[in-house]
Amino acid sequence: MSVTFERRLTRDWDDPGVIAIDGYRAKGGYEALKNALTKEPAAIIDTVKASGLRGRGGAGFPAGVKWSFVPTTTGKPTYVVVNFDESEPGTCNNRELVDRDPHRLLEGTAIAALAIGCRTAFIYVRGEYLAQSLVLGTAIGEAYEAGFLGTGIAGSDVDLDIVLHRGAGAYICGEETALLNSLEGFRGQPRLRPPFPAVEGLYASPTVINNVETLMSVPDIVLRGPEWFRELGTEKSPGTKLFTISGKVERPGNYELPLGTPLRVLLEDVAGGVLGGRSLKAWTPGGSSTPLLTADHIDTPLDYESVAAAGSLLGTGAVMVLDDTDCVVDAAQRMTRFYANESCGKCTPCREGTWWAERVLGRIAEGYGHPEDLPVMRDMGKHIMFRAFCALADGAAAVIDSSLKHFSEEFEEHVQLGRCPLQVEHEEVAV
Amino acid sequence: MTLAIDGKEVTVPAGTLIIRAAEQLGIEIPRFCDHPLLRPAGACRQCYVRIEGQPKLATSCTVPVAAGMSVQTQASDDEVADAQRANLEFLLLNHPLDCPICDRGGECPLQDQALAYGPGDSRFREAKRVFKKPIPLSPLVALDRERCVLCARCTRFCDEISGDRFLELYARGAGERVAIAAGEDFRSPFSGNTVQICPVGALTSVPYRFAARPFDLTYGDSVCPHCSAGCNLRVDLRRGDVVRHLARDEYEVNDAWLCDKGRYAFRFPDSSERVTTPLIRDHGLEPASFGEVLTSIAGWVDRGRVGVLTGGRLMDEDYYALSKLARTVFRTNDLDHRRDHGAGFVEGAIAGGGMPVTYRNVEEAKVILVAGLDAEQEVPILHLRLRKAAERGARIVVLHPRRTRLWDVAEHIPCRPGDEAWLLEKEEGRHRPEIESVATAMREAGDAGIVIAGPRLADHPQAVDRARTFASDAGGRFAYVTRRANDRGALVAGVHPWLLPNGRSSIDEDRAEVESVWGPLDIPDRGRDWRGILEAAANREIDVLFLIGVDPLRDYPDAALARRALENVPRKVVQSLELASLARYADAFLPAAAFLEKEGHVTTWEGRGQRLQRVRDPLGMSRPDWEIFASLALACGGDLGFETLDELHEEMGTLLAPRATRHLAVADTGAAPTPVEDGELLLFTYPLLVNDGRLSEGADELKAALADPPFVEIHPNNAGTAGVADGSDVRVTTAAGEATLPARVTEHVSEGSLFVPFDQAGFAANTLLQGRFSIAATIDPVDAPADEDPVEVGAGGAA
Repeated sequence: MSVTFERRLTRDWDDPGVIAIDGYRAKGGYEALKNALTKEPAAIIDTVKASGLRGRGGAGFPAGVKWSFVPTTTGKPTYVVVNFDESEPGTCNNRELVDRDPHRLLEGTAIAALAIGCRTAFIYVRGEYLAQSLVLGTAIGEAYEAGFLGTGIAGSDVDLDIVLHRGAGAYICGEETALLNSLEGFRGQPRLRPPFPAVEGLYASPTVINNVETLMSVPDIVLRGPEWFRELGTEKSPGTKLFTISGKVERPGNYELPLGTPLRVLLEDVAGGVLGGRSLKAWTPGGSSTPLLTADHIDTPLDYESVAAAGSLLGTGAVMVLDDTDCVVDAAQRMTRFYANESCGKCTPCREGTWWAERVLGRIAEGYGHPEDLPVMRDMGKHIMFRAFCALADGAAAVIDSSLKHFSEEFEEHVQLGRCPLQVEHEEVAV
Repeated sequence: MTLAIDGKEVTVPAGTLIIRAAEQLGIEIPRFCDHPLLRPAGACRQCYVRIEGQPKLATSCTVPVAAGMSVQTQASDDEVADAQRANLEFLLLNHPLDCPICDRGGECPLQDQALAYGPGDSRFREAKRVFKKPIPLSPLVALDRERCVLCARCTRFCDEISGDRFLELYARGAGERVAIAAGEDFRSPFSGNTVQICPVGALTSVPYRFAARPFDLTYGDSVCPHCSAGCNLRVDLRRGDVVRHLARDEYEVNDAWLCDKGRYAFRFPDSSERVTTPLIRDHGLEPASFGEVLTSIAGWVDRGRVGVLTGGRLMDEDYYALSKLARTVFRTNDLDHRRDHGAGFVEGAIAGGGMPVTYRNVEEAKVILVAGLDAEQEVPILHLRLRKAAERGARIVVLHPRRTRLWDVAEHIPCRPGDEAWLLEKEEGRHRPEIESVATAMREAGDAGIVIAGPRLADHPQAVDRARTFASDAGGRFAYVTRRANDRGALVAGVHPWLLPNGRSSIDEDRAEVESVWGPLDIPDRGRDWRGILEAAANREIDVLFLIGVDPLRDYPDAALARRALENVPRKVVQSLELASLARYADAFLPAAAFLEKEGHVTTWEGRGQRLQRVRDPLGMSRPDWEIFASLALACGGDLGFETLDELHEEMGTLLAPRATRHLAVADTGAAPTPVEDGELLLFTYPLLVNDGRLSEGADELKAALADPPFVEIHPNNAGTAGVADGSDVRVTTAAGEATLPARVTEHVSEGSLFVPFDQAGFAANTLLQGRFSIAATIDPVDAPADEDPVEVGAGGAA
């Protein structure tokens, strides 16, 4: 089975010229913004709603609906905040999108700003993305120069500033309320909801927070219409999405595919199959915070509904592939270590639970597990999942839960043999 | 809104959190981070409940009730109980099992709740997290990061309540910890509250560290003896000695807080300076029986003219007895508890005026003008309530010659000391431009507008009255805030040269009401005020001077006059906890019981009477002041008419019952504002919170944490003119004396004025004063001395 379609978000990736504003405009860039300037904000929102565009950051919430929640009569300013704190393990599609096509992000952001009456938008860039923030910085400068940002954008009477803000390297700041805290100069820890950001977000003002890929989808929707957008993808998950595939595959990388494309197509046709022709053991559909699936799920269509039906989440579309030589306990411990390290510390189950789980998993992986450790690990998933302040801990619990669900024999063998049955050398990393 | 918790219905106001609604039903939900006075955090996750219809468990400390909601707690839902057990297991993973040596052991929320709801056993096999400990955050507060459960109560207290944002969470994950900036001290006068609200033994009080086990303690309810805030205290004793003060929750007064002085200055009743035996001067001061001493004093009184000076720290009962003793037995109106002009002729209305402004009024006010009060330093708990009002949206304006700690939440109208009266009065029917917007806002706020006049205004005869008029013109409320714990009680009892109990004037027909209870009074219309009494004593116009809980050499703004009075008056009777500097002057000493050794009442600045329990028996032979007064009356051949507290209370009830107050039409005889010549600056002073006061004896950690060395604050323009550099020594000269002090050149003091703290260790500011808390002064630079000691203090010139 193969896949043929007209590339959308990645269509200009082969042309390095679009990185500069002239090249971008030569390909029709900023025409969508000019078009949007002729429309009422409500009409822009309706168009995006009609397209069915869903948030690409992981939760999949319809973008147009999110925009429509923003009250515009509070007397307070409204804000668009771009969540470019892309930190989910296995995920780097936002990075490449910005690297190769930075102006499309600015254009999408500007259209979102028009839709909610925002005059200052913020791009929150992951701290480690230095190169991307330089690219964006240059692009923003060009956009000001060309009159697409600043006072009276594109010859209109609308003003818009975009502020680029670099984070300091914390996964939690991808959580939208922690991002807002960080952007305001406070400690990056999630806020209590309600109030939701749409009502009281940045500086206690109505705020829309969108993922990079979501906003980059917007210019085409405005210019070509919702029907065009819906030509690809499924009824409930329309459009295309960038999938990041990594791990034990022949050709890892970012690939744009219509939503609903089965994993088998992505893995075998697009990414060249499992590395070295070995067999698939387990995979994540959307980064390490989505529950592991197995080879049994290889025909799962990659859209929000189908992945959920298979017992996981589409997340960021970051597929990480484990083959039959990989130790699941080792993999689970590595992923759990990430969450133990990135837990913001605010709430007990996440802070203590991930810390404990990482240690127990490490012991099991090294062959020092006890039979009593397995019920502890089963409880861990139960007591962390949906009990913490924010969703970070749910991601940690997902790893533990799903690895035990699908591979409990492998855990038991570790304990019984006192070593890894696959003889995988467990690498002890000091945290 | 009506909801059901564990099947029981309860009706609560909209916005109430589930955990609070459960409290009303008497259902306990375990919690650590939740605190009723802090904003919800949802951090510890201990208070899970099930809300019917919701897929996940909810934290009851973050979710407001909704009508018809049905909630299950751990008592009726197994999954909730299981989740709480699991959460406790998580919390205990990294918590050291050092309860037997932890100060909190025995009164620890974590210990208690682990016992009640915890798993009872641990499945944890790994090594616990280790931190260096304890970390001294200040000389008062130590941090043990291993015990910390990261509930963020302390950091939220600093953010939301005191505004002194010293503590912050640092790092993340299991490495997260409470931290303070490197090299920084937790220099907040409210730091001790973080210890009390810590749900584990992570924050501990240095003065209490390893001092006692909870089961060693006996304790009783009392009221803080330090300032007029009236904070509700629990006094903890170990083998009879005070080892700790804790705040008691009283949402009408101190919420759940204490200032660090109230919390940590607790050693004075056990001071080695304390004298608990009556003394009489023979060759030296010799121990004697109460009978002998009282008989001697009665002899002096019988033959002589008497003056009575007292401070502001006795109980209502003591003051009432003293007021009656002076009038009916000593036959004098020469008694005073003040050390300034007081509120002038407004005092009668204040004394009988009940509670025109309460803490609750402050909290709910829309506009508050604070004049002549540095609330953080003088009445700290009122300061917290002002901050709370600001948090709730009140506009706060501070009229003061020095920036106060309300700077981040209030507008500040700087003025020269003494100019407040001028600023608050109308000129040709109009308010002055500086104050006009406040007046407008006050008018709009009606009785949600409050004017608070602080003790510094009382240095100027008309200022308190102007502030009161300003409030009444706008239809607002007015409060006169005195500084010491029971100044208000003394005023109400009539420890005053022309006011009898409850604001009755001794000058007019009011007097008859008092005479109907006390019998005919053979006293002049008005007696001498404190200054008149000291002058009369200095001029030998008084034969016996009673000093009841007051030290003239330290307390009055004229050290030289106080010294002359003590040297010249023939007989000095001291009644106090100790003699201190009066040892060489006293002819008789009567040992008084300390506040925790008496039962009675004190009155807050609001006018609220609060009861003190007798927490321990009076030390040695010391006795409650009112009992001594009653015995002295008998020794003098009189009779106060009460022998028990019940009898005393009955009589007080008659004379102190609520009554209509009048604005007395008494001509003000106070002096004019302090004169200042060209080239002179106006020096003003008031005590800072942590000073060298006698009630802070033994509070070494408190002083180490918060006391400032003596200093003089100078505005940069005045410093420039005088050639004084910041940090250099400056000579301050007044008509009374001179002193050399390190200069703090700062825009936070008004141009043209100088600030020196009143009673700082190493420098008694009253050596520079002549009867008021402000005086004209000049400054000169002093060449820095070669030696290391930066503070060289000049003695009072006239002494």
